[in-house]
Amino acid sequence: MTTVAEPVALPAIDRGRAGLSGQVRSEWTKLRSVRSTWVCLAIVVVAGIGLSALVTNVEAGRWGTLGLADRATFDPVRFSQTGSFLSQFVVGVLGALVVTSEYATGSIRTTLSATSRRTTVLTAKLIVVGLVVLVVAEVTAFASFFTSQAILLAHGAKALPPGSSIVTQVTSPTIPYVSLSDGGALRAVFLSGIYLLLLALLACAIGFLVRHTAGAIATFVGILLVLPLILDVLPSSISGAFEKYLPSNLGLAMTLVTTRKTDFAGVLLPPWPAVGLLVAYAAVAVAVATVLLVRRDA
Amino acid sequence: MISAEGLTKSYGSTRAVDGLTFEVRPGVVTGFLGPNGSGKSTTMRMVVGLDHPDAGTVTIGGRGFHDLRWPLREVGALLEAKAIHPGRTAYDHLLAIAHTNSIPRGRVDEVLGMVGLEGVSRRRAGKFSLGMSQRLGIATALLGDPGVLLFDEPVNGLDPEGILWVRTLLQSLAAEGRTVFVSSHLMSEMALTATDLVVIGRGRLIADTTVDDFIASNTEATVLVRSPSPAELTEALVSAGACVSVADDGGLLVTGADAARVGDVALAAGVAVHELSPVQVSLEQVFMELTSDMVDYHGHTPAEVGT
Repeated sequence: MTTVAEPVALPAIDRGRAGLSGQVRSEWTKLRSVRSTWVCLAIVVVAGIGLSALVTNVEAGRWGTLGLADRATFDPVRFSQTGSFLSQFVVGVLGALVVTSEYATGSIRTTLSATSRRTTVLTAKLIVVGLVVLVVAEVTAFASFFTSQAILLAHGAKALPPGSSIVTQVTSPTIPYVSLSDGGALRAVFLSGIYLLLLALLACAIGFLVRHTAGAIATFVGILLVLPLILDVLPSSISGAFEKYLPSNLGLAMTLVTTRKTDFAGVLLPPWPAVGLLVAYAAVAVAVATVLLVRRDA
Repeated sequence: MISAEGLTKSYGSTRAVDGLTFEVRPGVVTGFLGPNGSGKSTTMRMVVGLDHPDAGTVTIGGRGFHDLRWPLREVGALLEAKAIHPGRTAYDHLLAIAHTNSIPRGRVDEVLGMVGLEGVSRRRAGKFSLGMSQRLGIATALLGDPGVLLFDEPVNGLDPEGILWVRTLLQSLAAEGRTVFVSSHLMSEMALTATDLVVIGRGRLIADTTVDDFIASNTEATVLVRSPSPAELTEALVSAGACVSVADDGGLLVTGADAARVGDVALAAGVAVHELSPVQVSLEQVFMELTSDMVDYHGHTPAEVGT
């Protein structure tokens, strides 16, 4: 056994307590020190910008062949955010892994025996994974927006007349090019990142509920992909009533700018109520996860 | 100091820990002994607040785990050696835990040095051998320099050198005045390491004593004696007040009389004695006898199954 000449003095024990700030630093250390985090974040950035650029390029190329109806729903903002279809699963995996990798290895027991308040662990994980996903998702959303508009410009797109709503593009003979100041564009791009943030938090809560990597990811993917399929096979009177409350459709509602009454009336919620409902879903999942984390044996 | 009182825990219909009351004092190594599945790990998990007892309490220095303000600085635990993310380095693993209790970075290097892992601290823990993982687990327990330490089967998977190292470490930690509570299913290991003993079987307390008392009160002095005329010798010994049984190889096993007395009795009876030796009953045997009806999963040899 090596003896160290001058022992490291630990801070006094009689004041304060193990709290949130230390736990946040701990969770950040854990998050940054495994490769899967960086792989997930790299996919979010590359898929976000790359896939969106690809789709924008293809859609811009088809403009000449589109009829009036299709031109009416030509949404330069949504094309710039197509990558988030993939990213939503990746941030889900990241959010779940932050929790389930600890259950898989058993290190959750070390984590929980380092604090006498389990809620601190859950809060710190949500804060860290939330901040990381928020920053990466927003940067990606805006980078992707500008990349896609640059591609549209290269296809000869013209800016909309000042003050016109994006919906009026149906009368425009050329490919529309959108700037952030155009109606709804800033909101759609910003909420695209918020959508990913809320999904990551939801997945993190599911991780605490399911405590198993494959189970948590399957549950998360099921909510996004399988729930819509189940609704589809139900009578349209039922599915029509519930469709707009599906998390995946809330995401669509948050990021769409060409919502016209004829297309989406009753099918989608308005953007901000959609945010509110998704926040509520995540909050309920977090609340249940908190109760179970405190009650269950680790 | 760890005090458990009436500690009880069931999983479904299985009662893992059943009304356990014991005390672990500082300054000595206390062995926590019991067959596999007897409730040792469950008890340890309850000490550090991971499992909630159905009844009873367990306190560390008079306080329940959830009343500790800096848990790592008061109680350190090695519960599972491999409980580390395989992709994380040993250093980052310890640093993440250190942050939770405001333990400075320097202490991470210090404990890595104490367990001899300073050379591999930047390697991913997934590449570690079981022995290295055990050392990392011990480093984790020591991180907060706590007064109370729990080790669940710390020598599992270690080579003889590693076992000796753990034994010495545990004793030196206890000598510093810490409470050291070590579980094992190996009596022989505990006999070498521990001073006090808490023995359980099927979640119930069998003994809360010292190793010396445990041995003294549970091993009867036995003497093996061989003689060309066993019948006469047996008669003489029995009339002298000893108990005699016949061993498998024809020797006589005598209790209730020490070797000198057996020799005297044989001489007085005029019986020749060819061998006379005290028998060491191993602690393992004592432990096995005490816990034999407390083992949940008996192994069966083919011969036993056949009969």
